[in-house]
Amino acid sequence: MSGAHWAMIGILALAAFSIRVLGLIAGGRIRTSRHAWVLDDLPGLIVVSLVAASLAGQPLQTWVAAIAALGVAVLTNHVIATMVVGVVAFAGLAVIGL
Amino acid sequence: MKNGAIAILPLALGAAIYGFAFGLLAAQVGFPWWGVGLMSAAVHAGSSQIVSVEQFASTQTVVGAALAGAALNLRYIGIVASLSDILAGLSINTKLLAIHITGDENWALTMAERAKSPDVGAAFLIGSGFVMIIVWTVSTTAGAVVGAVLPDLERFGLGFAFTAAFIAMARGLWRGRPQMLPWMVAAAVTIVVISLGLPKAYAIVAGTVSGIVMSLILRRASGVVA
Repeated sequence: MSGAHWAMIGILALAAFSIRVLGLIAGGRIRTSRHAWVLDDLPGLIVVSLVAASLAGQPLQTWVAAIAALGVAVLTNHVIATMVVGVVAFAGLAVIGL
Repeated sequence: MKNGAIAILPLALGAAIYGFAFGLLAAQVGFPWWGVGLMSAAVHAGSSQIVSVEQFASTQTVVGAALAGAALNLRYIGIVASLSDILAGLSINTKLLAIHITGDENWALTMAERAKSPDVGAAFLIGSGFVMIIVWTVSTTAGAVVGAVLPDLERFGLGFAFTAAFIAMARGLWRGRPQMLPWMVAAAVTIVVISLGLPKAYAIVAGTVSGIVMSLILRRASGVVA
């Protein structure tokens, strides 16, 4: 492994950990401030943004499978059941060529 | 801790597939298998590692490649900040360990499970985090060792498993109608930013921040926040 490979691993590791520490410091400050509500709202907003990022620009097949997964999620509130139905729906739609 | 370690297993399987594919990519750029394992254990950020290795392969610029990858991880400021309550009371060393082994999947699962049961906390986060970082490190290393061509697993819906899991986690975090508009804004902004051609990681940060702004506007309108 060359010096460039070592340097890339080192810089990336340092940068990634620094970002996490920044979050740790920010969380402590926000929790004791009048903006503590932000910490309650953040998880849902990040997860919704992750879902939207996964669906953006995807074909109809993906969106239909996502709606099926959402239906199961609403009914069951269960992660594994939602994953199973979502993947089966996605694969089924691929098979029928949607 | 055991509960978190078991609950995360289905998601860890999905991560292992991506990890294996990343290991193949990294090996092609000249990283030895042990270097890939070292990177995965030290960085523990899938999207950042993938982008950095791709950038390094195309530009051979070390700092630029590393910083491009790190920028994709900015959402962790929000993710780790949201763990403030869960991590409160732990020693600083345990906190640093916990935030290093925290990834999208085990963080989201912990928050979703905590919304159902307040007993879910640091032990669940750390147990699931250990499984994720071990699976990620082993699978990326294995990908680099094998160096073979992966079949098109996306076609069979394995990539969609993550999307479905996040949908289920969003359901777990749903607390009622006041969240509706901020969530819609976050989703819409994320999709618009991606449609403008910007990387998904930036879109996630933009969507999240927009949702917070909308939530603040609603709270001010209802007099909850000054």
